[in-house]
Amino acid sequence: MDSVRPDEFASFMRAYQDMVFTTAARITGSERHAEDISQEVFLKAYESFAQLQSSQAVGGWLRTVATNLSLNHLSRYRRRWRFFSELRRDDGDEEGEAFDPGFTLPDGLPADLDADNRRELIEQALMRLPEHQRVPLVLYHFGELPYEEIAAQLHVSLAKVKTDIFRARAALAKVLARSGITQASDVISS
Amino acid sequence: MKTPEELEQLFDRTLREQPLRPAPRSLQARVLAEIEKRQARPWWQKSFAHWPLAARIVFFAASIGFVKVGLQSAMWVSTSLRADALAIQLPAEVSWIPSIFTAAGFVARSLPPLWLYGALAVMGAMYMVLFAVSAAAYRTVQPQH
Repeated sequence: MDSVRPDEFASFMRAYQDMVFTTAARITGSERHAEDISQEVFLKAYESFAQLQSSQAVGGWLRTVATNLSLNHLSRYRRRWRFFSELRRDDGDEEGEAFDPGFTLPDGLPADLDADNRRELIEQALMRLPEHQRVPLVLYHFGELPYEEIAAQLHVSLAKVKTDIFRARAALAKVLARSGITQASDVISS
Repeated sequence: MKTPEELEQLFDRTLREQPLRPAPRSLQARVLAEIEKRQARPWWQKSFAHWPLAARIVFFAASIGFVKVGLQSAMWVSTSLRADALAIQLPAEVSWIPSIFTAAGFVARSLPPLWLYGALAVMGAMYMVLFAVSAAAYRTVQPQH
């Protein structure tokens, strides 16, 4: 490892740091924690740099490590979300739970909303989702993991994964509808 | 109105179009600084794979020595308390060490067998209770699949 040139590794980092950081940020919902996790990912990459340099699957390896470290971080520092999310369901509160995107959704967004603004709205809404909804949604749509593997990773039932992903989509539907991508009623009534 | 499959595809397409978030500018500097810090550590604070060859050889030799001492100790414990059984070649300063193990073996052999077997049975039962309670607690907390 002492033979790795710093500029070579720095170039490697520049190529993948956005992907690693984005993966960690979307799973943890925190940019601060995502930066710490990204640092850990690249330190691990440095230890295996000789093999990674010539590997075609380096992007997948980095994404997998970032995902695993993010999930480990969540399970280590958060409260047991699945337990409490089930308590909320038993209380019946989750049925009427209103999604707060954390910003004011204007009623009259122009039909030709700038694509950059729309993406920013969606990203903010994604980060504001409750953890038990955001994590399986991110693993499904960005991590391309099947439901079964998500359930195994999160140690929850398959039904819970599907329910949480459905509710996450319903919560995001408001943002997508206001930005003109779809109709909220399409999701809510399906 | 869209079908559920169409909606899922729409969500998938929309989310995948999301651009990557830019990593903080400080990330690269942090990583390189940490790498430099780890490289500056002395070899005994690094993983075994980074030890000098001489240190690794000494470690293996010491490990074999410890294994030999352990086996020898087990032999001392199992021998009876006889002077000739202790007649092994050790320096005078440490010749008392085998007698400790032999004495422990004598005490263990003097105990009624029922006590020894009873103690082993109690320890085994306690382990089983520990596993049973842990499994019950796990099943209680985990949701039913």
